[in-house]
Order: sequence, then structure tokens, then C-alpha cells
Amino acid sequence: MKVSFPYMGTTVIYKKLLELLGHEVIEPPEPTQRTIDLGVKYSPEFACFPLKVVLGSYIEALEIGAETLVTSGGHGPCRAGFYGETHKKILENMGYDVDIIVFDGYKRDIMGTIKKVLRVKNGKPWRTVWKAIKTVYAMAKALDGIEKRIGQMRAYEIHRGDCTKAWQKIKKSFDDVKTIEDVERIEKESHILLDEIALRDVPDSDRLRIGIVGEIYVVMEQSINLRIEETLGSLGAEVERSQYISEWIDFNLKPGASAKEHELYILKKGEKYIQEIIGGHAKQTVGHIVDYAERGFDGVVHLMPFACLPELVSQSIIPTISKDYNIPVITLPIDEQTGAANVLTRLEAFMDLIRNNKKTKTA
Amino acid sequence: MNKVFIGIDVGSVSTDVVALDVEGNILSAQYLRTNGQPIEAARQGLRNLKNELNGNIEVLGVGTTGSGRQLTGIMVGADVIKNEITAHATATISLVPGTRTIFEIGGQDSKIIFLKDGMVTDFAMNTVCAAGTGSFLEHQAERLGIPIEEFGDLALTAKKNVRIAGRCTVFAESDMIAKQQYGFSKAEIINGLCEALVRNYINNLGRGKKLEPPYVFQGGVAANKGIVAAFERELNHKVIVPDNHNVMGAIGAAILAREQVERSGKPTSFRGFECTDLQFTPTTFICEGCDNSCEVIKVEMDKKVVAMWGDRCGKWTNSLL
Repeated sequence: MKVSFPYMGTTVIYKKLLELLGHEVIEPPEPTQRTIDLGVKYSPEFACFPLKVVLGSYIEALEIGAETLVTSGGHGPCRAGFYGETHKKILENMGYDVDIIVFDGYKRDIMGTIKKVLRVKNGKPWRTVWKAIKTVYAMAKALDGIEKRIGQMRAYEIHRGDCTKAWQKIKKSFDDVKTIEDVERIEKESHILLDEIALRDVPDSDRLRIGIVGEIYVVMEQSINLRIEETLGSLGAEVERSQYISEWIDFNLKPGASAKEHELYILKKGEKYIQEIIGGHAKQTVGHIVDYAERGFDGVVHLMPFACLPELVSQSIIPTISKDYNIPVITLPIDEQTGAANVLTRLEAFMDLIRNNKKTKTA
Repeated sequence: MNKVFIGIDVGSVSTDVVALDVEGNILSAQYLRTNGQPIEAARQGLRNLKNELNGNIEVLGVGTTGSGRQLTGIMVGADVIKNEITAHATATISLVPGTRTIFEIGGQDSKIIFLKDGMVTDFAMNTVCAAGTGSFLEHQAERLGIPIEEFGDLALTAKKNVRIAGRCTVFAESDMIAKQQYGFSKAEIINGLCEALVRNYINNLGRGKKLEPPYVFQGGVAANKGIVAAFERELNHKVIVPDNHNVMGAIGAAILAREQVERSGKPTSFRGFECTDLQFTPTTFICEGCDNSCEVIKVEMDKKVVAMWGDRCGKWTNSLL
């Protein structure tokens, strides 16, 4: 069975997991305008933007031979929980014979989850499965650490594009991982590669730090969010995202209470503004804004798929948080209609705003 | 010999060029139609400016802003290339000190900028729809057969109120046609349109924010008395329209150029007025490197490539660095 998965962020991680379980993996190509066009064409108009892009990405994977798609589901009252079923229906209507395995929260349907695990397990001994999971988890942690470092470095690179080039190279080199020892070795090599990048020396007082929060797909997938991290980097800001895949694994999949600590801490921060989980990442969004403010960040960029209900709720709360914590926040709705020129103008103005803000704060 | 700082604001509808002396006084302000040819408009603006000042000037710095800021910035050798939000705010802070809220309505976009203690604290820009921007008003004026210059005065003569749907340009137009058929006068319809525009503007951009006076209204549309009156009715407060409301962006760019030159201590990178005679050709090609098929803009000056942008991956942009 030829397996593929939705494209989001650092995909080498999902690819590796399926590979180590002995599947023939079809890697979906990074989303491009064609992916978006395909997704938009075959999705209902008012579906959320991530559903459209993922659909486009599935179609492209099926075109190059994928037969089965493995994905995570959504939980809580948000349309994301519907993606698997909707995608299956659309793809079937288009004439594709496709199997979609959706992993929802395991507590809701333990038997169903076990059945799905057995299918993905592919007849491998549990020992192999355990090893694969451990290796891939280590890889996710390592890659996220590297990506965070790049997010800080990019603002100061002397030759524009150096960091992004290094990041592409690093992701490729992780493709050779077979064991956990490989992960450790490649992680070390990657950091050495980053050490070699020439950086400008900028005094602490002139450093600008921006947190990126919002719905997970538009926050993590750079090909559809106007490469927000690179854009902010080139405007001179260090960035950190609210979501990294290893943190998502910690909270949603890893058993044990200690793994959930970070996310619970963030949720707690947002409690004052949103008490209940209202779906998507709304509660996390407000929690992260509070967290960034307390950690002394200079500004926050809030990304949301156009018309995303949970993020519309957080958007309407943001002016209050922004005032309470004196931290500037800019919201950017993203969909297939987003024009780069308008967004860039606003981001530039936002950078001027936070730079001035910082000057008066320190003066 | 006058020492000046030049600001150029290349917008969708108008291109403005101003010269400020070292004290910040406006020596010359040129307001031209862009007519879809930003480079030609900027060139003409610079030539007019030079003629008006009898060529008797020494340029100490140049700043560009507006949607054509990148292209024009390269052509003239700008010291600073700034977004129009910062440029507008800079001009207002300097010309109308104490301003708390700026309404700016231009040809194809509208902005609201919040200030406190001479600093931008927040801003918003229309993102979804162009209803209520200058181009829309102009189109409607044309349809009703009224010169845009008389539009505002005519609105003030309206005797009755009529409510026009202002959410979307297409619906606004069909609503206007319907109201015309019901027998409302042109003046009343225009007045209704002004109110719809203001209502839409405040709902869209001011949503959830407190609008504090003093209010300043600038941009090309500020010349329209009907809109100014509608703003004052909506806010129940006086709205200031600065004398140079239509060239505020350019003034801001000139001030920013002065700040930049003073800060860096370096001489200006202005190419001189001769730049208006340089062969300067922007071309566009579709990159076939991947399925993104980006439209890459390539700018050549005297057959030498001086700038490239528009590629998502940075392959072309970074190739010149």
C-alpha cells in the first residue's frame, strides 16, 4: 500500500515514521499555487482554507501514486474534525479510489483507534514500532529546536537567504535517519552548519522579537502563509511560533501528564479571556499572546484562515489583551484571495510600530 | 540655492512629489494622475518640481512611499523606501501635532491610524473590499454624470436622507440604481453614498477600537466635502482636513528621508534629476522553477538588471545580493 499524508510544516517527520514502519511512502509535493487552485476548485466555497489546501495536496499525492492517506483528526467543536470525512467524499466524487485513515483522540474510540494502529503498524513487531516512534519523536524534537534557532538567526544574517538555504539542507539530511543515533549525529552537524552562517552583531536593545500565533495549519505551513517567518526575518525580527509539531505530539499523543505541562500552562494563561475550549486553537492563541507578552516579546502576529470561527472569537478578544498587556498584535486573515502587497505593507508598518514602541519603553 | 528633501508617493490613482526645505516648509507640491504608469508619473512629477523651483535646488535626501515605492525608489535612488501607513502618520504628527486618529482614504485603499503622544499605537487597512475608496466614488460620479470635483458640494445640497447599502461596490451600485428609480434626486443619492461610505469605513476599520479626537482626514477623498460632512455627523465631532491633505504621504516620505540622512550621516543616494532621462524598464516573466509560477518583476536600468522581486522562494530576489 502506497501511503501519503497531508503536507504541513516539516514533513520529513511524518514521512520517516511511515517509512520506518515499512510503508512505501509517497511524499506530497510542497503546496504551490497549483495545489491551492486544485483545492479551491474541488472544495465547497465556504470550507476553511486549510481544508482546501490539504485537499489540493491530497490530489497531488494521488496523482503520483498514493493509495492510502494517513492523517490526524481534529477535536473539539471545530470543522477540522470533519476534514477526513469531507476529503474522502470529495475525492470519491472525483473518482479516486482512496482510503483515508484518520487518527482522532484515542479516548473517544479506543477499539477504532487500535484497528487503525494495526493497519498502519503494517505487521511489524511492536518492538520495531516502539523504536520507530522513539526515533521519529527525537527527530521532531531535534528539528523543532533547529527551526527555533533559525527563527532567531534569520533577522541578522548578512547574506539574505543563508538561513533558509541551510534549513532546506538540514531537512534533507534528516531524510537519511534510520536510528536514534543518526538523529543525534545529524542534529549536531546541523548546529555546526548554522554556526558557520555569518550574522550581524545587534545589541540586545535593538532586537525585536515577534511571536506568531493562530490556527495550526496557517501558522506551520510556510508555503501558504506568505512565508511569514522569512518575511519577518528579512524585516529584522526574531520569530517564534505558537506551534511546533513536537509540542503537538506532546499534548495530543504522548501519554503521561508531564508531556502535557507546556500546553496546559499556555491554556491556563488564556483562561482569563476564554474559559472553555471552543475549538481550533482559539484558547491557545490567547494563551500564547499572554505568554509572549510576559516573556517580553515586542509584538505578535496572529494568523487565521479567513472566516475560521474559533480564530474569529480570539480576534475579537485580542484588542483587550493587547491593551491589558501593552503588546501590539496584528491579525492577518489568510486564504486563496490574500494579496501579498497589502500584507507586506501592513507588516512593514507593524514593524515600525513595534520598533518605536520599544524605543519609548526603554527610553 | 535651496536645500531640499524630496518625498514621492506613488499611489494607484495619484502620484505626488513634494520638496521640503530644511525647516520642513513645503516649497513645491506636485499632484499628478498616475494613469497606470507609475514611473512616467514620478518622472513627470520630478521634472515639474524642478521647473517650479527653477532648478535652483540641492537635494539632500529622497524618500518614496505608496504602492509604487519599490520601483520608484530604485529609479531615483531613494534614501528611504517606506510603507504608506508610516509615511502618512509621520506627516500628520509633524503638521497637526496632537492628532489621535487619522482617516486616510486613497484611490484603492483606506486606512485608519491611531496615535498617542506622537506615536502610532495601532492601525488598520481595508483588506476585503474596495467599497468606499476613491476609485469607487469616481466610478459612481462618472455613472451619474457629475464631475468628481463637484461631487462633495452637490452632496451638501441634499434635503432628504436616503440609505444606500455600502457593504460591497456591486450591491451599492444596484441599490443606487434602485433608489434613482424611486425618484430620489442625484444630490440625495450622492449624500446617501457618502454616508454609506463613512459607515462602512468606520465599521470595517474602526471595529472594536475607540476613536479619539482630534480627528484628521487626509488622502485624495478628503477633498470631498460630502464625505467630510458625513464623518462629522457620524462622529458628532469636528474633523480636521489639513491644507495639504492630498500629498501627506509624500510629505511623510520627505520627512523620513531627512531623518534617515541625519541618522546615517551619509550623503544622499539620489541619482539626480538626470534619473528622469535614464532608460528604465520593468518587465515581468513567469518563473517556471516550480508550480507556483510566480510573476517575477525584473527592472533594468540602461540594460543592467538593478532589481528583481515577486518570487516566493527568493531565488531571483537574492540573486542580486
